[in-house]
This record gives sequence, C-alpha cells and structure tokens, in this order.
Amino acid sequence: MSQIFDIVVIGAGPAGANAALTAAWAGCRVAMVDEQRKPGGQVWRAKNPVVLEAPTTPESRSGDALRQEVACSTVLTFAQSRVWQIESAASGWEIYVLKEGKVVTLVAKALILATGAREYVQPVPGWTTPGVIGLAGATAMFKQDLALPGQRTVVSGTGPLVFFVASEIRRLGGEVAAVVTPNSKREWLRAFPAMVRRPDLLVRGALWVADLYLAGVPIYWRHAVAEIDGETDVSGVTIRRLTRDWAPDGEPEFLGADSLCLGNGLTPAAEAAQLAGLELRYRADLGGWCPEVDASGETEREGLFLCGDGAGIRGAAAAEIHGKLTGETASAYVRGVAPGENHLLQQAYQRAARFGMAMTALSVPRKGLQTLMCADTVVCRCESLTRSDIVAEINAGAQSTLSVKSGLRAGMGPCGGKFCQGTISQLIAQAKGGEVSDVPPPTARPPLRPIPVAALAGDFEYDDLPIPKPAPL
Amino acid sequence: MTIVYDIAVVGGGIMGCAAALEMAAGGMRPIVLEQSDIGQGASGVNAGTLSLQIKRVKLMPYALKGHHAWARMGAAVGFKKTGGFTLAFTEREAELLTERQTLKAKAGAPIEFVSTKRLRNVEPNLAQKVVAASYCAEDGYANSSLTGQYFRGRLCDEAIEYQERCQILAIDRGASYQLTTSRGVIYAKRLLLAAGAWIKTAAALLDVHLPVDARINTVSVTERMPALISSVIGHATGLLTMKQKANGTVLVGGGWQGRGRPQEGRGQVMASSVMPNIALAQFAMPGLSKARILRSWTGFEANVPDFYPLAGALPGFDDAFVLGCVRGGYTIGPYIGQLMGDFILGREPELPLFDPGRDFDEDML
Amino acid sequence: MIRLVPNHAARVQRARSVTFTFDDEAISGFVGETVATALQRGGHRLLRHAPEDGGARGAFCCMGLCQECLVQVGGRPVESCRLLVSADLTVTSLKRGAQSQ
Ligand SMILES: Cc1cc2nc3c(=O)[nH]c(=O)nc-3n(C[C@H](O)[C@H](O)[C@H](O)COP(=O)(O)OP(=O)(O)OC[C@H]3O[C@@H](n4cnc5c(N)ncnc54)[C@H](O)[C@@H]3O)c2cc1C
Ligand code: FES
Repeated sequence: MSQIFDIVVIGAGPAGANAALTAAWAGCRVAMVDEQRKPGGQVWRAKNPVVLEAPTTPESRSGDALRQEVACSTVLTFAQSRVWQIESAASGWEIYVLKEGKVVTLVAKALILATGAREYVQPVPGWTTPGVIGLAGATAMFKQDLALPGQRTVVSGTGPLVFFVASEIRRLGGEVAAVVTPNSKREWLRAFPAMVRRPDLLVRGALWVADLYLAGVPIYWRHAVAEIDGETDVSGVTIRRLTRDWAPDGEPEFLGADSLCLGNGLTPAAEAAQLAGLELRYRADLGGWCPEVDASGETEREGLFLCGDGAGIRGAAAAEIHGKLTGETASAYVRGVAPGENHLLQQAYQRAARFGMAMTALSVPRKGLQTLMCADTVVCRCESLTRSDIVAEINAGAQSTLSVKSGLRAGMGPCGGKFCQGTISQLIAQAKGGEVSDVPPPTARPPLRPIPVAALAGDFEYDDLPIPKPAPL
Repeated sequence: MTIVYDIAVVGGGIMGCAAALEMAAGGMRPIVLEQSDIGQGASGVNAGTLSLQIKRVKLMPYALKGHHAWARMGAAVGFKKTGGFTLAFTEREAELLTERQTLKAKAGAPIEFVSTKRLRNVEPNLAQKVVAASYCAEDGYANSSLTGQYFRGRLCDEAIEYQERCQILAIDRGASYQLTTSRGVIYAKRLLLAAGAWIKTAAALLDVHLPVDARINTVSVTERMPALISSVIGHATGLLTMKQKANGTVLVGGGWQGRGRPQEGRGQVMASSVMPNIALAQFAMPGLSKARILRSWTGFEANVPDFYPLAGALPGFDDAFVLGCVRGGYTIGPYIGQLMGDFILGREPELPLFDPGRDFDEDML
Repeated sequence: MIRLVPNHAARVQRARSVTFTFDDEAISGFVGETVATALQRGGHRLLRHAPEDGGARGAFCCMGLCQECLVQVGGRPVESCRLLVSADLTVTSLKRGAQSQ
C-alpha cells in the first residue's frame, strides 16, 4: 500500500516545512514527514497538549505562523511518523514510514531531506547520571512541556545555546546555579561583526546575559564541567578552568545542583543522507560530517535535495531560506524546467548563513575538551563502553570506526552510535596522530530509528511467502 | 631494499587470514592486503550460523572440520554450540526437510528428526504450528562481528604483516609479482586471491575471467530481549535463520536479497526483503513481536555457477592461487583456508581442493 | 530585583492533573505532557539500569534519539520522552528488579 507524491520532504523544521510549502505553492503534490506531533522542528517545536495557555516567545510565534501556513496549504503532513528506510527506485524514491504502529510507503519523484541536527555532548565523568540532559534536549522540554529539568540547574556548554537555556530556566521559574562555558568573552567579542547583521538576536542575547548578571548567577567563562556527582541523581558538579585549547588546567571548583544541562554544539543528522547514497565530508566549520549540497539544495544524486542544518549547521534563519530555495529547485526538477535564479533569496541566505556559521564556530568543541574524559568514563552509553575499552581496541589495531564498532559493539546499541561516534573518531584520530577528517563515521544502516517487529511484520500471511528454488544440495 | 614477500594475500577475510596463518606457520612470509578493514567483508557481516543442516552434502566433511576449528577459537569469536532445529510449517516443507536432511545425515552430519513435543520442551517459545523438525547437536553460532578483531589479533601474534585500506590497482608479473596499491608497491613471489565477492575484479587484473556472481544477503538484529530461544533455528526452505545471543539480541537471517554490486560499496538493504524476513521470524517465534529491530544490513556472498568453492591454482598460473566462493564459507572458511595454505606450501591437503579451472557446468565431484 | 527575563511560571495554564502508574507507584502528571517530564518532576529520574554494567540511566536527549529514557508499556519498549501522560497509563521501568510483563 503506497501513496504517490511529486515530492516527499523528511523533516518539518524551518527548512523542511518551507521547502514543502514552496513546492506546494508551485503546484507540486507534497508530503512532509516528521516524528514530532506537529511541524516546527527543534527550534520551533510545538507545545504538547498539556499546555492550555502560556505567554508567547519568538520561537513559539514563528512556529505557530509556520504551522498555520502548513495547515492552510496542500502539503499533506505525516506527523508522529518516523522514516526508517529510504530507497531509490526507477520512478524516484521510496520512503518507508512508521506511522501508528504500521509501515506506510511513500513514493515520490523527488526527495528533500531536512533532518536537521543533533547535539554533540562531550563525555565527562558522570555524564550518564540521571539528571544530566543535553542542552538541546532541555530546549525540547521547555518548548513542548514548559517544564524544568530540576530545581537548581547548572547550564554548561558552548555557543549561544547555553545562554538561551539558562534564560529559559529563569523564564519558567527555575533557578540557574551557574552558567559554565568553554567560550571566552573575547571569543564572543570576535564574533561581534557577524552578529551585528542580526541586531534582533544580538539584543536578545545581550538581555539574557545582562539578566543573569543582575540575578547574580555566576557565569564561568572558559570553564567546563569536569565531573558530575551523584549515583542515581545529580547532586552537584565540579568545574575547571580551561586552556586556549579547552583542556582543563584550573583548580576544581564544586557547584551544588540537582540537574545539569550539557552540550557542545550541533552536528548534522546525516544518516538519512547516507542511506540515500550521499557521501559525507568533514567540515569543522559546519559542525562535522556533512553531505555536499549547494545553496539551491541540489546534491550529487538525481532527484535528491537537502536543506537546513542537515547540510551543515547554519542556524534556523538560514535553514528557513535554504528550505525555500530548495523547494523551488525541487519543484522545478519535478516539472522538468530549469530552476529560476532567485538572487534576493540567495543573498539573504548567504547573510543568514554567515551569522549561523559564526555561532557554529563558537560552538564547535576544541581538542582539549577530550581530555576531560578519564579512563573509566563511559563513551558508548548503550553498551557501557569506557574510553579505556575503546583506546585498547584502537591500540590492538582497530583503525576505523567500523572496526571499533564490530569489535566492541560501539554503535550497535539502540541509539545506533548517534552519541558515541564523534568521540570515537576523535580517539582514533588522536591515536593515529591524524585528524578527525580522516576518520569517517561507519556505514549508515536502516532502520533510522528502532522499529517494532510487529510493524515490520504487518498482516503477514504465511501462504504469501515467496518460496524460492531450494538451495543446491 | 625492497622486500619480496613469499606471498601476497589479496583479501583479509576469513579465507585470506586463515590461509596466511597456515602459510606463516609453514615458514612462509606472507603479507595480507585488505581494501577496507580486516574481516569487514562477508566474514564480518554474516549471520554467524554454524549449522550442518544448511551445508551442501558434498561439503559436509569440510563443514565438520570447520565446526571444530570454530570450537577451538571459542569465546574469542563468541562461539557457542547450542544445537539447532530446522522447522517445517507445512506438509510440503516437511517433505523437503525429510528428503534433504536424510541426505545430509548420510553425508556424516549428526542430524535426527525430532517430535514436535521434544521441540516444544526445548524451545517452548516457538510457534505451535510446527509440523516437523530436524535437530543437529553440532549446530551453533559464532559472532561474525568479532572476525576482524580476532584475525587481526592472530596476524599480530604471528607477526604477519597486513595493510588495511589498501586497494590493489594493478598487478604486473616480472621476476616476481608487482602489486600497485593505494598504499605503495608490494612485491611478492606468489599471489593468493581471497577477495570474497571482489575476487572477479582481482582476477581480472591478471586477465583471468572467473564467472563469479554475488548474492546480497540481508541480516537484521533486535535490541536485547528476555530469553526466548536457546538453539539456532532454521526453516525448511532456508528463508529463516534465527538465534539469540548471550546479550539477548536476536539475529535474523535467511538469505533475503538486498541490492547493489560489490564494485559499488557495501550494498543496500531493501525493505521489501526485510519485512517478510522479520514477519517469518515473528511467525516462528510470536514473542518476537514485542521486540524492535535496531539494524539491518547486507553482505555479498560470492558464488560460481556450480556453487562449489574456488580453491586452487588460478587457471594458467602455477604461482597464483584463488580461494573463495565457498557456500557456507563462514563455517568452512577457517578449515579450507588451512587446506589452501597447505597446498601452496607444497603439502598434500587433508581433503581435496576445488580446481578453479574446472568446467562449471558439470558436477565435478 | 529587576528582571530582564520575566518569570512566566504563573502564567502557564496546564491541563488537569491525573495519576498514572510507574512500577506500582502512583505518579501525578498533567495530561498531555511527556511521561519523562512527569517522572522527573515526581523525583523519578532513574528510569533504567544499563544492561551491561547496571549503570543508572534516565532521559538524556529528550528527543527520541538516545533511547536512554526507555520504559515499557504493555511489555513493549517506548521512549518516555515521546509518550504522553494519560489517566489509564501503566508504565514499567527497565530498572533491575522491576516487574516487566
Ligand atoms: C550476509 C551473509 C550471511 C552469511 N551467513 C553465513 C552463515 O550463517 N554461515 C556460514 O557458514 N556462512 C555464511 N555466509 C558466508 C560467509 O560469510 C562467507 O562465505 C565467507 O566469510 C567468505 O570469506 P572470504 O574471506 O572469502 O570473503 P570476505 O569476508 O568477503 O573477505 C574478502 C576480503 O577481501 C577484501 N578485498 C576484496 N578485493 C580486494 C582488493 N582488490 N584488494 C584488497 N582487498 C580486497 C574485501 O574487502 C574483504 O574484506 C554469509 C555471507 C553473507 C554475506
Ligand atoms: S531521552 Fe533520548 S530517547 Fe528519550
């Protein structure tokens, strides 16, 4: 049972939703798939039904406007639907979706991937303790449930996200014990020229920081959380000053807290692109391993388009415009016409991307951060593999992420390696004396998310089994 | 000074590594050249079933020896002798089962037919719909993802050199073989092509055409589950293999086909194969319906038209050899690799090899 | 004290509160929020023990990727960061010793 479209868009964030809308307005039959309940993506994530009324925020307003547009368009939204497999077919693409416990197949001439980013969290001793959540994860909690991660929270990490999270905790009535960031004030000053292009965001950020100062919340610049205390619940964190390379060198300082939000920048969620047959290359300035895409969203594979943070971390504003450009390119492809050149939009994209990449530059972890790990720090959470397990495997000759994965199961657990491969690449690079750019992630394998056996089995009839010719005796 | 190795082994799978180990033990100096990582081809992605019930009749003596080789490797490769059942759910399948397993038992495999009552006693979580079953106490499994780790370790222990991420670009024959690779030029007196599904490409570098084809087998694995089965499970048609590892994950195979070609990367999973494969697994073991599949993958299994191995001198050469296309090669690999090593060392192999120069349209045995 | 970021806590209206079952304990939560959120508010951050080393684990990515927040409903694994609270819900943890159906 498959449904046929001109274009299927995977991901309903600013990039995907705008691509879908643009293509639909151009007259294409568009389906948009997202695992969330409503369009909006990470940045404009919708509230869960729990929230009946609440003050709006810039994010909620942008998200509501987008949802309104999608609702009024001809885009067919598959919400709470997870894409688990992508295949190229003679007629274009086949996209396998898990929806309400069943597999649905979508067929389309063109496929737009807009799968966004996920967070890189640098492992540190104790980061697996319940009560430690990702910075990006914290924003999800704020946006959908308007809930707090705890009573008294340390917020730690790189780039602007750390200040956004701290300020949201304060807005929702929580207490921020401290903000801890590897960035220095000087790094922020250096990013200033790129930031003045977006005075609205600059003012908002300045307000967050000023509010923290006024409230007496300590901000530890050029510091990182070096250890988390607590067995089954966070009871506090130890922080340390960092060198220029972000290696810890200062005296440990203890901060009491019952929760920690921790994150070190975003990285493109590129598994879908890999499944669709795209090669990845390493771009530190874009957050890590990315597929090759141009500003119009075109990739090296026919009928395959890509936009937003999944193409490299450039931020929401750039993603929105990239989505529009990609929607135009993909719909031109479907109609068999040459895409028009939209110079104004292209320029707007370049401007937005410059701002986004300045933020990415602040967020990308430096090498020294690795040295926060101890020998017994868990790196692969699913299989409880420590740094010393991984280093031993590397020293025994495993020279690729693939070999480490096979030998130890690092990346074979339920998360599929989403939270350990970055660290493992760095450990391999370090051992070889090479660069992370020489250590690509392992081959992506379906399903993109764990999928229930019952869903795959569907309403199987034993008699329908295609019985093959018996194997030679 | 340039080193001239006694033999360059092209391909670091089970076949290449086992042969290299045997040759080194016999006094030769081999080098193993692998295009990706050691043991990441078919040897590292297969379902790991060590079952005599799915071996070819004429390969049974090799398979038995193979089982013993795996048992000796033991825990380092995740070996477990669990016993295995092959199931029939219809009368037609039952006939097929009887006919085929009788022949295999005659060939020396300790296979017996068991009552469904006995089956249920041992495996209470299997579906009630089984009409007939065979059992082999020798059957079990090993963990194929440990192939790379294990053989890399063995090569290191024996001080056998190897190169990973080493593509063979050209082979020239002068006083010795000159292999131009992505990691430099290598000289060797002899050559063993053990390049798995890529064996055809490797032989073509010597202008030899081998009629090699590749099947693209699919395997899937669940997350950890409570104990459901203790034996290796097969299906009369061969469309299902299933085992539960010590960590609780259930591995499902059965030769369902993905797509792709060895020359174009690692092959692709097809949903249209995974879904019926998993459905059949759930049919055979209803408790699986509560599990989630974490990963499906494919691997290339090479074969020639008569589905017997290539193991011997490359046609037209006396110092170049070929080893591959072994059906059930994971099981038989460590043993046939050893035979191949003996042959190259000039010893009489314990069991006969399989001439790669034969006429593939005739049944040669 | 001057606040540049206002406190909005009092202005958030939530759906009614209900109780659901978590390992035989009654937990209160608001209808339509995630089970992970309700559990954390109720002091239940420990949701699982890691299968290999028994380490304590709880929600981490909060977006359905890491699988650390896994619980069971009707014997099937579910991400509690994506599951919504409702009155008749019975959730079992993957903690050591918890009763899985
Ligand atoms: C999915 C699957 C399931 C299977 N299940 C079972 C099972 O349950 N039981 C069983 O007994 N058998 C099974 N088999 C078969 C078994 O795995 C293979 O027969 C066996 O591993 C083959 O070993 P090999 O060394 O010849 O090939 P491979 O393991 O493929 O090794 C060949 C190596 O050569 C390298 N190479 C190729 N070309 C070059 C070059 N030009 N230069 C350098 N290196 C090169 C490759 O990268 C590869 O690593 C299965 C096979 C597959 C694919
Ligand atoms: S917290 Fe990561 S999947 Fe729920």
